[in-house]
Amino acid sequence: MKRKSPPTGRHNRIAGRRWAGLLVVAALLIPAARPAAADGVESFVHDTAERVFASYSGSDTDEQRARVFRELLTGSFELKTIARFTLGRYWRVASPDQRKEYRRLFEEFLVLAYANRFRDLSGVELRVTSVRTINKRDRLVLSEVDAGGGRPPIRIGWRVRATKHGLRVVDVIVDGISMSVTQRDQFAAAIRSAGGKIDGLLTMLRDKTTPRE
Amino acid sequence: MALISGFGERLPSTEGCSPPRDPLRILAALLVVGVLGSSGCATPPPPDDAEAVESFRRTNDPLEPFNRAVFAVNIEADRYILKPVAYVYKETVPQPAQDAVGNFLRNLGSPVVFLNSVLQGDVDHAGETLLRFLINSTAGVAGVADVAGEIGLVGRNEDFGQTLAVWGADEGPYLVLPFLGPSNARDALGRVVDYFGDPWTYLRYEKFNYSRRGAEIVDARVRNYDLIRDLEKTSVDYYAAVRSLYRQDRRDAITNGAEAELPAFPDMLDEEDDLEDEEKKPADRPAQ
Repeated sequence: MKRKSPPTGRHNRIAGRRWAGLLVVAALLIPAARPAAADGVESFVHDTAERVFASYSGSDTDEQRARVFRELLTGSFELKTIARFTLGRYWRVASPDQRKEYRRLFEEFLVLAYANRFRDLSGVELRVTSVRTINKRDRLVLSEVDAGGGRPPIRIGWRVRATKHGLRVVDVIVDGISMSVTQRDQFAAAIRSAGGKIDGLLTMLRDKTTPRE
Repeated sequence: MALISGFGERLPSTEGCSPPRDPLRILAALLVVGVLGSSGCATPPPPDDAEAVESFRRTNDPLEPFNRAVFAVNIEADRYILKPVAYVYKETVPQPAQDAVGNFLRNLGSPVVFLNSVLQGDVDHAGETLLRFLINSTAGVAGVADVAGEIGLVGRNEDFGQTLAVWGADEGPYLVLPFLGPSNARDALGRVVDYFGDPWTYLRYEKFNYSRRGAEIVDARVRNYDLIRDLEKTSVDYYAAVRSLYRQDRRDAITNGAEAELPAFPDMLDEEDDLEDEEKKPADRPAQ
């Protein structure tokens, strides 16, 4: 019965302390929750970078490298979005067939252009320096790797988007140079020099990605 | 080369600029074009095509046909002169010696970096540069070893083109300089100012200054050897890819690596893609 008696002033103080304790715990938990949420993005970037960096040294032949890199591209990158971005203002005027063909060629082109680009980064340690929110779905994960030779570290920004299939990379920005922007700019120039025809770009991409003797 | 001239031929306004293969004739043609300034201008898009006009403005390359011609000459010069030299250097000089040369050259560049940091009002970086210069010139044996870098004074490059940008100057039209490569009006002017602002210029050791410039060019070429090869091999429009890289690189240098403005990415949840999805499986989606 005693225990159920109305709380005295002392009990009140204890209860108050308990609440204060809870608040402290809650206060500790809430800021902790944020890095935890960012952790998903961070570990995704760590994991992706590790696989990208290892994609060169892990294989013996160019064919094998291309296969590994293609798996990475399709599994960890939001290729549809990137393809659309890199076609820029021409996406809207492209026919469904042109879009489909462009997407296919773009993937081939990326494999060709980047499968061997990371040979110098084999086994290099990536440090995530910060995570920034760009908008509701996009985070920019800033990271760096050592360049060696007393040079400033290479800065790599990963633009990561939360998609319905999970986290996907939509852009990689190396020392301020965005891969997607670079491709968009040269594709636009290629289309312009082909008289504004998207088929002109498709032909060039086809030429580039078709293995030659 | 075939790639570049191929593009040149497709542009109606470059017919006179389409470079022949013989390097001397290219040079002669270039000089004629440069002196007379004939037919070097890109054709602007029709004014009623707002998007094309905006894209033309953003590309900011009104001298494109002329620039493409110079670019083609530079590629030939690179292929026959610079690249072979860089290749031999890269393959024969041991890496530590290459690093030493790079460090030495960078240390020589310190006064210009210092002056530009001051002009940009960046006292911290000016101080860091001065400290780097003092440490590397002494403990680093005339700059051969980057001792300062090893203790965390990494520094960065600053030039007058960047200073002008910090002061609010526009980049001006894109330019490809003969033998010097991609630039723009602002950065080309910056190069001239840096030349006169460099104390070494006033040391009357002509041979030293020429050797230094030469070594700088080879050092930079070796440093970017693989990147240039990959880029040339994998571009659909090498000229445009370099132009884009140059612009992004300069923006990064001007802002000292502060995150550049990010491009807007299409949101794949918008109606167009919903339409695409509907095409695939119309039965799954109840009409709303």
